[in-house]
Amino acid sequence: MSAGTTTPVRPDDAAGAARFGFLNGFASLLRAEWIKFRSVRGWVIGMIVAVVVMEFMGLFLAQAHVGCQVSGGPAKSGAACVQPMPLGPGGEAVNDQYYFVHQPLGSSGTLTVRLTSLTGWYGGNGGVPAAPSNPLAGLQRGLQPWSKAGIIITDSTKQGSAYAAIMSTGSHGVAMQYNYTSSVAGRPGAVGPASPRWLRLVRSGDAISGYDSADGAHWTLVGAAHLAGLADTVQAGMFATSPQHTQVTQFVGHSQGQISPSLATGVFDHVRLSGGSAGGGGAWTGDNVGSNQPFGPGSTQAETFHQAGGRFTITGSGDIAPVVNGMGSGPTASISQHLIGTFAGLIAVAVVAVMFMTAEYRRGLIRLTLAASPRRWRVLVAKAVVVGAVSFVAGLVAAVIAVPIGAHIDHVNGLYVFQASAATTARVLAGTGLLLAVMAVLALAIGSMVRRSAVAVTAVIVGIVVPYFLGVAQVLPTSASEWLMRVTPAAGFSVQQSLVVYPQVTNSYTTPNGYYPLGPWGGFAVLCGWALVAMAGAVYLLRRRDA
Amino acid sequence: MNMTLAVRRDALHAEWTKLRTVSGPAWLLAGLVAATVGVGAAVDAASRCPAGEVCQVDTAKLTFTGIDLGQAVVAILAVLAFSNEYSNGMIRVTLAAMPRRGLVLAAKAALVTGLVLVAGAVGVLGSLLAGRLMLPGHGYTVARGFTALSLSDGPMLRAAAGSILYLGLIALLSLGVAALVREAAVAIGVVLALLYLFPIIVASVGADPHWQRHLEQIGPMQAGLYIQATTNLHALPLSPWAGLGVLALWSAGALLLGALSLSLRDA
Amino acid sequence: MQQETIEVSALRKRFGATVALDGMSFTVRPGQVTGFVGPNGAGKSTTMRVVLSLDAPDEGRALVGGRPYASLPRPLSHVGSLLDAGALQPSRSARNHLMWLAHSQGLGARRVDEVIAQAGLTGVARRRAGGYSLGMRQRLGIAAAMLGDPPVLMFDEPFNGMDPEGIVWMRKFLRGLAGEGRTILVSSHLMSELQDAADHLVVVGRGKVIADTSVDELRAAASGDRVTLRTTAGPAAMAVLERAGAAVIAHDGDTLTLSGLAAGQVVTALNDGGVPFSEVSAHRATLEEAYMELTRDAVEYRAVGR
Repeated sequence: MSAGTTTPVRPDDAAGAARFGFLNGFASLLRAEWIKFRSVRGWVIGMIVAVVVMEFMGLFLAQAHVGCQVSGGPAKSGAACVQPMPLGPGGEAVNDQYYFVHQPLGSSGTLTVRLTSLTGWYGGNGGVPAAPSNPLAGLQRGLQPWSKAGIIITDSTKQGSAYAAIMSTGSHGVAMQYNYTSSVAGRPGAVGPASPRWLRLVRSGDAISGYDSADGAHWTLVGAAHLAGLADTVQAGMFATSPQHTQVTQFVGHSQGQISPSLATGVFDHVRLSGGSAGGGGAWTGDNVGSNQPFGPGSTQAETFHQAGGRFTITGSGDIAPVVNGMGSGPTASISQHLIGTFAGLIAVAVVAVMFMTAEYRRGLIRLTLAASPRRWRVLVAKAVVVGAVSFVAGLVAAVIAVPIGAHIDHVNGLYVFQASAATTARVLAGTGLLLAVMAVLALAIGSMVRRSAVAVTAVIVGIVVPYFLGVAQVLPTSASEWLMRVTPAAGFSVQQSLVVYPQVTNSYTTPNGYYPLGPWGGFAVLCGWALVAMAGAVYLLRRRDA
Repeated sequence: MNMTLAVRRDALHAEWTKLRTVSGPAWLLAGLVAATVGVGAAVDAASRCPAGEVCQVDTAKLTFTGIDLGQAVVAILAVLAFSNEYSNGMIRVTLAAMPRRGLVLAAKAALVTGLVLVAGAVGVLGSLLAGRLMLPGHGYTVARGFTALSLSDGPMLRAAAGSILYLGLIALLSLGVAALVREAAVAIGVVLALLYLFPIIVASVGADPHWQRHLEQIGPMQAGLYIQATTNLHALPLSPWAGLGVLALWSAGALLLGALSLSLRDA
Repeated sequence: MQQETIEVSALRKRFGATVALDGMSFTVRPGQVTGFVGPNGAGKSTTMRVVLSLDAPDEGRALVGGRPYASLPRPLSHVGSLLDAGALQPSRSARNHLMWLAHSQGLGARRVDEVIAQAGLTGVARRRAGGYSLGMRQRLGIAAAMLGDPPVLMFDEPFNGMDPEGIVWMRKFLRGLAGEGRTILVSSHLMSELQDAADHLVVVGRGKVIADTSVDELRAAASGDRVTLRTTAGPAAMAVLERAGAAVIAHDGDTLTLSGLAAGQVVTALNDGGVPFSEVSAHRATLEEAYMELTRDAVEYRAVGR
């Protein structure tokens, strides 16, 4: 126990030595706690177990295989089953499916239209195409929030092309969107015969500006896009499309979801194109862009367009947007998916951290510890630093192994792995370490307050794992479980989120799909708050109670 | 009297005195009832099925939701019944007084499980009563096809009785694990990991229904709780009793390993 | 009182790389207090645990009254033991601690109250045992050992934590039990504690028996009386004394330690040889010294440095 004693302060340099002695004292306290930690074989094994179970669960258990069988053919699996998703200019997977009435446009020009109506249909037989003779049979009237009709300038009709578009939507007013991930809101309100929307796109080289207007006379700039490397001749025209209809009904105890295709019909007039190949008077061509896209909402075979004089009626289905993780998103995975073992690792870390404290009380070692360092809070802080640092390393090591290997396995198995930026990846990896570190500190503090290891471990697990469990096991409705994911220490898991929320895509952005209600650092801050409060409580009780 | 019989009776008597003379078990049993009824009633209060909606709700599962938390209390109770003796060294006194170690484990298991069954019955009946008072008023009526919240309804009786047995099996599983790993913190960690991690893993392998179904069939909590299902039985990966059987296998396995460890290792 | 022995034969046990028992063999007989002494780590506690079937030996066996402990249906009426006074649930009262033990042997509350009185705990028996001092816990452990009124009793370090008054009480208590014809095995790492309590001694070191002897024999076998001599003429004195039949045990500067001659004989021999000396003192061997000498090589954890 010599390591637990503080260095004596020399009287000849009292002030400096006091400060130096304090730091030096804390350093030797840290060393003492570190020696205590590593000299108990079970605790070291516990930390190794944490890493091993994280790898086992993340890489072995949490594996998804895609299987398929073409009627009568041999059963196949993995990449052979999956058609690659189109990728947008930024490399992200995109949905790119819409009905497009277009003609070529040169390197500069302007397209103006008036949109007088946007209506829609949805429902039907769960995506099974209706009879060709009556494509709308069994469908209900109604728009989706992000049903859209408007004008678009796109590099080509190939899926994943660079584009800029301005449109009116089902319930989000006018929006200018470009290159799938960007969306800027324009004039609010719904479009109708009484309140038509004038839309305009102006191309000048790589720059495209979008304007909207209520009367065709007073224009407002909504947004401007720079589409790097846009071809000289692009396609410009009108489009309509409508993302799948998703209905999730939440109950306590379970939820039920239904996905069905939807259609949007836009009616355009006052179409004026300048800078087109035929000076604006060319013929308009209709194309159902991306209709073979495998993961779209399914064709209703109703996509078409009619032209009567200057009036265009265009019906489309699909979306022009990034793919998000959720119902009907197909075989996708996020880089965080293979960190699911964090829960198991966390339990192991919590057990070790709780015991690191409660073991002191078992045979009265605490009295020796506190006699060696009478400033009790420093003992607790030193323990927190040691167990936090060890947990951080364990979490970081586990994540650095699991994430790249997991992504590779997913890729081989035919899953699309949502791309994450280097910064996001670094945050997920380091975040896993931080997550375990802060949770270990929380467990240590609870162990110090409760002193009973079984109760402390249960409290940690109920506080951290069960809120997540209640969400994914659909015991609670989403609203309740998302609330728990905001206020309980489980909020800290959001630091592992690698997926991006796109407001322009309707989706169930919930914990089970990999989206946490608070941002990555916001959720982590909630966990840190819990850890701080618990440490304060532990310090208070440790000073107040007899050892 | 037959000596073996007398020794067994003595072991039960001694273990019963142990449980009776500290306050922990009584508090934990009260906590089990409170957690089961409280969570169940809260869920009942929060649930609605508005007229005209189609709600695929199993009223039995709904009203017995409190078991999800109650089982954690059972795990603490059962783990502590063993681990406490290891942590303070009393296990040596126990085994010196009762050298037949399997008998000690059996006596503890019988008593803890018995107490859990009694408290579990109170909790389950309380939950059922809460459901009966609240759920019909929230739209979950028999007329709309929901399972009646009455013990005279066959499936509901099975769900209620099964939920009680479920808690008993969790107690046995926890005791077995505690006898195996001794250290309270580790034992409770292992038990709660076994219970809560399977559903989390299942949710994370969404893209693979086959693998998912397998995990649902072997997870002790998920399989065991099929006993609460009263609707859509054909869609379950296992029949209700087979599901409870899976949990029973886990419990038997844990007890067997625990008994082996107890009799082979030095105390 | 039915008389039973403890027989330990050829016990061997290792914990990993450590050899705890290395052929431990001895027999403890009724009607006397047998002291079980040896330095820390000599294997005393392990032996007791093996006798109680708590630990399994790698080789050898231990019998109580000719039977393995584990085969006894109600073992506490054969062997009472106190291994660790702290081995109890702190939140349970002392009386309830004894109560569950009594119930495990088919005994009732009356016997519990008897042993409480015998151990002198009557006033405090309903208090939680966690609040007991070490000495009170020792008494509680002794009460537990006495529950079954057993012919064989084993106490591991019972003097630990006792005040002088308690030590006196304990010695008397042990002698009384032996007087009733019981078989008593008491371990200690301090011979002085056993000095007036034990009749017989089993001295162990490094997992085996070094001496199995009565207290008187041990005292006699100790290398007899010693004489300490202080002189500046060391070599001359040694020559003279060795010629006179003494053996020099130690030589440290001016001080010689001798055996084989009485103090008077030493003085005569030195005077005859004309060797100057400043002091001669006689020294009677204590049990403690005899023990120290026996276990000198067997001390597991010798103090280093100093």
